[in-house]
Amino acid sequence: MSMSRREWIEGAALVGVGVAAAGAMVAKDRFGGTPPDPKGPDTVRPLAVPIPARADEDPLLRMQRDLVRAMQKTAEERRWCMIIDTRKCVGCHACTIGCVAENKLPPGVVYRPVVTEERGEFPRVAIDFLPRPCMQCEKPPCVPVCPVKATWRRADGITVIDYDKCIGCRYCLTACPYGARTSDFGEYYVDAQAMDADSALPVLGPSALWEHAPSHEYGKHWNRRGHQSPMGNARKCHFCLHRLEVGQLPMCVTTCIGRATYFGDASDPNSLVAELVAQNNTQVLLPHKGTHPRVRYIF
Amino acid sequence: MADVFSSAPSVQAGQAPETAWRFPWGPVSWLVWVVASLLGIYGVWIRFTQGHLPFGYGSYVPWGLWVALYFHGVGIGGGAFVCGAVGYLLGAKGFRTPSTLRTTIVLSAAAILPAFMAVWFDLGHMDRAHRIFTSPAFTSMMAFNAWMYAGYLAVAAICWALSFLENPNHLKPLLCLGLLLAIMFPSQSGAFFGVVDARTFWHSALLPMLFLASALTAGAATLLATRSIFDADRCGDETVVAEQRLRGVVIVGLLVYFVFEFAEFSIALWNPYSHRPAVDLILFGPYWWVFWIVHLLLGGLIPLALFSSARPAAWTWAAILVAVAFVSARLNVLVPGQAIGEIEGLQEAFQHPRLKYLYDATLMEYLLGFFLLAVGMAVFYVGQRIGAAVIAASRQTT
Repeated sequence: MSMSRREWIEGAALVGVGVAAAGAMVAKDRFGGTPPDPKGPDTVRPLAVPIPARADEDPLLRMQRDLVRAMQKTAEERRWCMIIDTRKCVGCHACTIGCVAENKLPPGVVYRPVVTEERGEFPRVAIDFLPRPCMQCEKPPCVPVCPVKATWRRADGITVIDYDKCIGCRYCLTACPYGARTSDFGEYYVDAQAMDADSALPVLGPSALWEHAPSHEYGKHWNRRGHQSPMGNARKCHFCLHRLEVGQLPMCVTTCIGRATYFGDASDPNSLVAELVAQNNTQVLLPHKGTHPRVRYIF
Repeated sequence: MADVFSSAPSVQAGQAPETAWRFPWGPVSWLVWVVASLLGIYGVWIRFTQGHLPFGYGSYVPWGLWVALYFHGVGIGGGAFVCGAVGYLLGAKGFRTPSTLRTTIVLSAAAILPAFMAVWFDLGHMDRAHRIFTSPAFTSMMAFNAWMYAGYLAVAAICWALSFLENPNHLKPLLCLGLLLAIMFPSQSGAFFGVVDARTFWHSALLPMLFLASALTAGAATLLATRSIFDADRCGDETVVAEQRLRGVVIVGLLVYFVFEFAEFSIALWNPYSHRPAVDLILFGPYWWVFWIVHLLLGGLIPLALFSSARPAAWTWAAILVAVAFVSARLNVLVPGQAIGEIEGLQEAFQHPRLKYLYDATLMEYLLGFFLLAVGMAVFYVGQRIGAAVIAASRQTT
């Protein structure tokens, strides 16, 4: 029972068409397509800081002015950058907690943990702290692996997730070398407390409405009740995009008690972050991964 | 649809050719199916009522047992089809009849459909699974894979339908296309991990080859077990030859897989470079027994010993062992690749059970695994019954 010549030709043609179609499918998405975010004049925000600048002002105020100046440019002209001076970080975790509060993060979801590293041997020991937000990579490995175009890099360099599109496959979690994405598995703090009757705090109680308060990530209104997004989704730091849009610095920057986190528009030569990059030998995490992070560290 | 079985060897009187059990596998299979269904339905109930909460995966090890079962299932589906289709196209004894081809196709579907269900249960938003077909991004190996499976299932279904015709014109060319897809998607399963640069252990060009080898091995073993248990054709000599040939494929597949695995591990162990921690975890970590006992002993050495026997009954057991134990090959790629983080100390930075580089499959995950087994068995049985019914109907009309 061998194949006839006609069957061979037909089979080869089908295989050829199949291979060509597969190649075309990949090429189409690999080389085409633009992110769906608005660009141009629609992205300009006419904000202002009513307080005059002073030479000895708090870096937060300086960064506030930088932010307002950046928001007067179009999205594609901004180049958001975060610089973390680890020499100033005291490991207070205020940035982590501020982020949890700002974005209403449930148990098991964290955007900005602070990694603690002990060095040396007693009595010569030291502790280093390494806050780790999303690196907002210029070549984000988490983006191409998404099977449904639910995550992309915006014109201003922030990698975002469309919670309404994400199917929760968690491929992007595995693709991030920094472990910067976590999945919202649907947990609540109150439920976790209620499982252990001894440690259940009456103040939390089953009617703790605070846990069901909506978050406002990406400038939208998110409520997780009834398995609504972002429950079931991948989640990540977005430089508090919803705050930037209204002229507020990211929450982790404002809560940093050591003023160790700097944020601004690196394309603005007068910004504090541009100054810090010029004055210091800043470094990125895992440079060999080739992701070109927008978060830089001063060690 | 006249003379649909004119080219097939004789079928024993009174028995539907696709559903004839070989004793004592009938009652054993029914018992396994009933137990797996009962346990599995409870697992599904838990999944739908409690979401992802009772399951062991987290954010640092996002994929667990179900994803391993998914890749194991699609591997079996692809591997079995390759063996059956190549045999049919070459007119090889034991594979040349339409009914054996149908058995292969139905088995392949019975492996792939529950595999789809496994990954569907794993999704955070099961209601959005359709988006992978309506809004795919082909930069993602996951989307590419999903489309490959869908295309393959469509081609396989057409081949199954054409196999009922006498001298079908386009069956063999379509089988060629199906063969291409059935080789591509198990390889892509390896590429699925291989393209993830973030995971050092996964980022290896060997992985697609390793997955293809394991797919062919597990697929051939499952086909051998199925042919032995169902003895579908009752064509005596043909079935014996098929079993002998499949035994050869499984033995070669096992040896090739272990050679590939040795190549991977020996290089990692020779110089303590970045692959080393994952290999150490596989060989000496808390789940050392998955490699040494389940994978190597139950999935390799014991089957090889059984295959060396002259008794075909021993081959059936060997094939079942390979088909089941080779899921450990998937787990040993999947979990260690995720369990080694790039940033030291990350799991201590924010304490939560889902932010650990440890993965322990929970009982509920195993229960849902039983459900997938029950679905696979049911799909196979129903598929074979439908095939038998079509043949019976065509005989009545003639």
